[in-house]
Amino acid sequence: MVSGDRAPSRRALLTGTGTALAGGALALAGCGSVATGKKAVKKAPMPLRRRDIAILEQALELERRTVSAYLACIPLLTRPQRKAFRQFLNEELQHTGEIASLITAGGGTPPPRADSYRIGHPTDGPGALAVIHSLEALQISSYLEWIPQLSPGPVRAAVATVLTVDAQHLTMCRVLQGQDPVPGPFVTGSA
Amino acid sequence: MTRRVPTRRELLGAGAAGAASLVALPATAAAATATTSGSTSSQQPLTETERLQRLIGLELLLVYCYRYVLSSSILDPGTRRTLTPFVDHERAHIDALQTHLTARGGTAPPGPDSVKTANRYLGHRDVAGRLGQLKGSQDALNLLLRLEQTTIGAYFVALINVNDTKLISLVCQIMANEAQHDAMIGLSMPKGTPARAVPYGLVQGLQ
Repeated sequence: MVSGDRAPSRRALLTGTGTALAGGALALAGCGSVATGKKAVKKAPMPLRRRDIAILEQALELERRTVSAYLACIPLLTRPQRKAFRQFLNEELQHTGEIASLITAGGGTPPPRADSYRIGHPTDGPGALAVIHSLEALQISSYLEWIPQLSPGPVRAAVATVLTVDAQHLTMCRVLQGQDPVPGPFVTGSA
Repeated sequence: MTRRVPTRRELLGAGAAGAASLVALPATAAAATATTSGSTSSQQPLTETERLQRLIGLELLLVYCYRYVLSSSILDPGTRRTLTPFVDHERAHIDALQTHLTARGGTAPPGPDSVKTANRYLGHRDVAGRLGQLKGSQDALNLLLRLEQTTIGAYFVALINVNDTKLISLVCQIMANEAQHDAMIGLSMPKGTPARAVPYGLVQGLQ
């Protein structure tokens, strides 16, 4: 069911995230994990750097798709849910910034954003939560596959700081969906 | 008397002054270097065996603290229900880490066997709050939150230094699980909301 509250437009959501994004960028600039990760990716031998950049480009695409999904889904949520998910959207935007900065540090260029992303067609709150849930789970399973392939340790650790937050987002989705929030001891992103 | 544990927001603010931060906020180059090596310049970096022992030691401390808090009457029934499964999660982490440790010929460290020992370990880890001195639910949740964040920080450092891909996968899975525990403890706090439970975009724990 679509919330009766006035749902914010995508433009309003993006504008609203502007300030937070700037704050996120500031935090990122001095961020120990990113700074250390950037240094490490710069120093990595070229073949390893190319492989890392290819992985990070995939990660960036997935983060952008998730941002797209949040933008489409937030207006369908209830007012209290919107408040939380607007913050989660800011955090996902911060992830895109993190990944893009690692690509740039490695000598790559972040690929251009796609015109649109396939995110399904949610029409109500539960549908929106299901879409976000599935994308957060996909991000987690992808990062679990990618992180061991990244070569310098600090790059792995920097990317893992994104994984941890996606795992927290998934937990909050599960809470709002009435599911077991932490169903097992090992996060796999399978559901 | 139990020292008041700063909120994560306060920690974030203090991060600019170089205090330990939940997310990596302005850190000095020296701090970054220390994090990278996982030790001070005067120490040798830990071997994978030593690092596994350190992680298991932290997990054993978590198990002890969860059990202590859950066996007391400090928590309300809802929070108790939320946190109870975490003990088994931590035990599963220990078992998985121990498999890797045994394969390297290492032996697991002993866990705390008394409140006094657990409190000493908490002190070594700079975790505020002491078992036996918890004044209520918030004190207990703050202690567990800080310990979970310290554990996340230990896994973050491990990811920098470990090279075995299977161990990296395991560390990622456990680190993410501890972050989920962290979020659920945050949600269980007075006035806890999903937004307050996940306040930062990047989480690397406390080091």
